[in-house]
Amino acid sequence: MQAAITTKKLSKVFGTRKAVDNISLEVPQGAFLSIFGPNGAGKTTLLRMLSTLSRPTSGTAKLMGIDLKEDADKAREHIGLISHNSMLYPDLTAEQNLLLYAQLYGVQNPHERVMEMLEAVELKHRRLDVVRTFSRGMTQRLSIARALINDPDVVFLDEPYSGLDPHAVEIFDELIASQREGRTFVMVSHDLQKGFDMCTHALVLARGKEVAFGPKEEFEFGAFSLLYRETVGMGVS
Amino acid sequence: MANAKKSHALPEGGQWPDAIAFWAVLAGAVLTTIGFLMAFLYAGPVNGASVDGMPEMIGGQMVSSKLLLSQKIFYFHMPVAIVSFGALAFAGYYSVRFLMTKNQRYDTCAKVAMEISLIFVVCTMITGDLWTRFEWGVWWTWDPRLTTYLILMLIIIAYFVLRGFIDEPERRSIYSAVVSIIALVDVPICLMITRMIPSSIHPVVLREGGMTGDMGMTVGVCMIGMILLGFGMYRLRFRQVRLAQRVQALKDELEEN
Amino acid sequence: MSVVLKTPSTFQQYKTLLRKDLEQEFRTKEMITSMGIYALLVLVVFGAALGQTTQALDLLQVSGGLLWTLIVFTSLLGLNRSFNHEKEQGCLEGILLVPLDRSVIFLAKATSNILFLLAVEVITVPLFYFFFLTAVTPGESFWLLVLPLLVGTIGMAGIGTLLSTITVNTRGKDVMLAVLFVPIIFPLLFACASATTAIIVGAEGAMDVFYPALLLAAGYDVIMLLLSWVLYDFVISA
Repeated sequence: MQAAITTKKLSKVFGTRKAVDNISLEVPQGAFLSIFGPNGAGKTTLLRMLSTLSRPTSGTAKLMGIDLKEDADKAREHIGLISHNSMLYPDLTAEQNLLLYAQLYGVQNPHERVMEMLEAVELKHRRLDVVRTFSRGMTQRLSIARALINDPDVVFLDEPYSGLDPHAVEIFDELIASQREGRTFVMVSHDLQKGFDMCTHALVLARGKEVAFGPKEEFEFGAFSLLYRETVGMGVS
Repeated sequence: MANAKKSHALPEGGQWPDAIAFWAVLAGAVLTTIGFLMAFLYAGPVNGASVDGMPEMIGGQMVSSKLLLSQKIFYFHMPVAIVSFGALAFAGYYSVRFLMTKNQRYDTCAKVAMEISLIFVVCTMITGDLWTRFEWGVWWTWDPRLTTYLILMLIIIAYFVLRGFIDEPERRSIYSAVVSIIALVDVPICLMITRMIPSSIHPVVLREGGMTGDMGMTVGVCMIGMILLGFGMYRLRFRQVRLAQRVQALKDELEEN
Repeated sequence: MSVVLKTPSTFQQYKTLLRKDLEQEFRTKEMITSMGIYALLVLVVFGAALGQTTQALDLLQVSGGLLWTLIVFTSLLGLNRSFNHEKEQGCLEGILLVPLDRSVIFLAKATSNILFLLAVEVITVPLFYFFFLTAVTPGESFWLLVLPLLVGTIGMAGIGTLLSTITVNTRGKDVMLAVLFVPIIFPLLFACASATTAIIVGAEGAMDVFYPALLLAAGYDVIMLLLSWVLYDFVISA
């Protein structure tokens, strides 16, 4: 089967600063990749490049077999992104927000799709309320609905837990688990334990370089967290 | 240690024009000094009038000796103004190149060219204003050229304020490139619009046209001098900035290994 | 249900984005109210500034300029706000993730800015007339004022949309927008103010100033809108 994400010597350089340096990966479909690393290791830059928000300086990246440099628009149809920002307009209703994105993507029968997603995240009863009135947890749930409105094959999670209370985290995890079917996930998170529990593959970055990459079975958590601490220590110096 | 493959990404340590940059500045300084002397000793006053403390009649207007002397500013004003716009044009060109390649070197080029442009624009404003004071008897008037240069100066200042307000290097480079391209397009439009709209309020300044040979000669010497000065200053400053970037890059590399 | 994606036409996406801005505005009325009140306050300031002007002719000659002062400051306020919603929750990134031509975002935003600004002008220009021009007699072809207003608004909203996309990502964004916006729109402002003054004064040969000025302003619009449209992709992707 075709890999969900393939990168070859992917780099993001500006001037002499290498934010991401020669990353080569292959992530199979259906995998859950967690990216670890200290601040400034290039996790977010890598995520932004893979989600077409930022153009690589050199190297190639393919998403579902589509070259991101050549046909970013085609690849965007397969991408969903959930970040710590909800990417929802606070002054529009839940329904208006989802409908906006559904129509921009060109989803057929947008109204039905919006209802379906609202039901999936259990917010149908609040669909006519303005997003500003939602709690952080509800906003994040709606954000999941927004990210999945185009039924993406690859979903990126950029620090999705920041600002969520434990209960909201639980609901969030359940929702993600219910949407795992047939999708590939890539997550950047500071929470080592959580990221490790959820993933099937792990990538550790330091200063833009790959320190370790492989399926989870290759790592044992104790050794892994030791490796991670070393990496973080390296980043601090 | 830095290996051969890596070092090509380093900012270069210097290029051949750097060798002549110093001499260009020197030659420019000498030439403008010669031009300064020529303006007073060689080039005759307008229309062969003589400076003897008596007012002269030129083109049906009484012109005092003070005016005839103040006209000398023109020999510096025009070359400075042309070089300042030339530097802006280079900044615009490098900005286009930057947007095409995203190579940081072009961003540095554009920034340094903008700095040179700012210096020359300020000189233009000063010489122009002195001239305005004596010629038209006012410190400031919204004359098309004066206005255009004021706007040019404000945009260049805005360019540097913008650079100071953005932290991420790539974003800073892109935004400032966009602004300098807009500036390059905006400034000629500004001159055109302020000049072409007929106005009843502003005095229309008609001057006796034509330059005599000696005047042309003086302007030419000053022009070449100013161009050399501008070029030399650009190269010296560019080398300085570039070397600083190189030092930073080497530091980063050492730290990494 | 399987989800079928059919890439909508550029025009449909433009309409969707524009509708989003309008829906937001209908709900909050934030832009119109803040710009409208601000414009009214500027009018009050003008009243104080002109308190000692009694000669009708003086007022006629400065009123064109005053009107444009009012419009520039009001549009600065509006442009500053126009990208705040997009940044607040990272919505702009959400839009950028959608497969759409980047210039559509520019066109939609510029259109909504033009519409908001025009809406504010519809309220403030009659007020301006009421406060300052009822005591004097403006030129006969006063109604032609609509043309420079339209041309000026389009140009300011167009280049202003590009500039506010830049400044929303900088520190001290309010000041930064003014620092960039005012010198860059100066030519347009000059042309529009000349045209407006010409018809308000309505002196002999006013049309000899009015039409060239209007034409130059329109030329500025065309060049600057094209330039913004070309450069927008770089700015928004940065």
